[in-house]
Amino acid sequence: MGLIARIVEESGIPTISVSSARDVTESVRPPRSVFVDFPLGHTTGKPFDHELQMKIIKDAFAVLKSIKQPGTIIDLPYQWIEGDDSWERELESQMTGG
Amino acid sequence: MSPVKYIELTRALFSAQGFPPYEWTLNETSPFTPFGKKLEECRVALLSTGGVYIRGKQPPFSPDRNDLTFREIPKDIDVTELAISHNNYDHTDADKDVNCIFPIERFRELEEEGYIGELAPVNYTIMGRIFRRTALQNEMAPEILRRLKEGCVDVFFLVPA
Repeated sequence: MGLIARIVEESGIPTISVSSARDVTESVRPPRSVFVDFPLGHTTGKPFDHELQMKIIKDAFAVLKSIKQPGTIIDLPYQWIEGDDSWERELESQMTGG
Repeated sequence: MSPVKYIELTRALFSAQGFPPYEWTLNETSPFTPFGKKLEECRVALLSTGGVYIRGKQPPFSPDRNDLTFREIPKDIDVTELAISHNNYDHTDADKDVNCIFPIERFRELEEEGYIGELAPVNYTIMGRIFRRTALQNEMAPEILRRLKEGCVDVFFLVPA
């Protein structure tokens, strides 16, 4: 996905990418990104939470205007579970079969 | 905050399955086109890698890997006509509300409120997990780009699943 953003940007169309995999985004470096620390499958928010979905999208558009340094990633403040990031470690242990 | 380490995990999974380690693209720099227009005058196109297609009208994506096709989703699509074919992320929530990964209804609202000029008539969905990087770079991406240019798109908004 980051590769497509890069190719489109290169040809003169500004792009903005929303990411939920920060390490992949750091590696591929799309021109501009916002990072949403949610489980994959929820990049633009939780189901039926229109307000959250809209906030994430508008934050991304704000960054489209504000980022001047190519490859910048802005971390958005939203938490999957308020004050609890145990889902991240659980997911890692599931993926490694642990 | 300590984001999930997907690269490390994918490497471990690949090696456990006997595949050679996947080398992620590592870019030191990024191309950049300054954004100098007014958003409220821009035509914005949306892309999702969530494997979304129109049920009964478009072929589903090959859900495993290396599907280099894309689907064009018209802006006025009824989201109940959309389905997801993708084996590599949990789309239980996105099956209920596609806006989790392809927020086309929110973009229509952004158009209505005048926040963006308009949502492009055609938007795009692909499958993630494409390991054929050269084909992606030389075939699929240029074709999407050609259509964006033809469609006079000012801003491209990408949502990986």
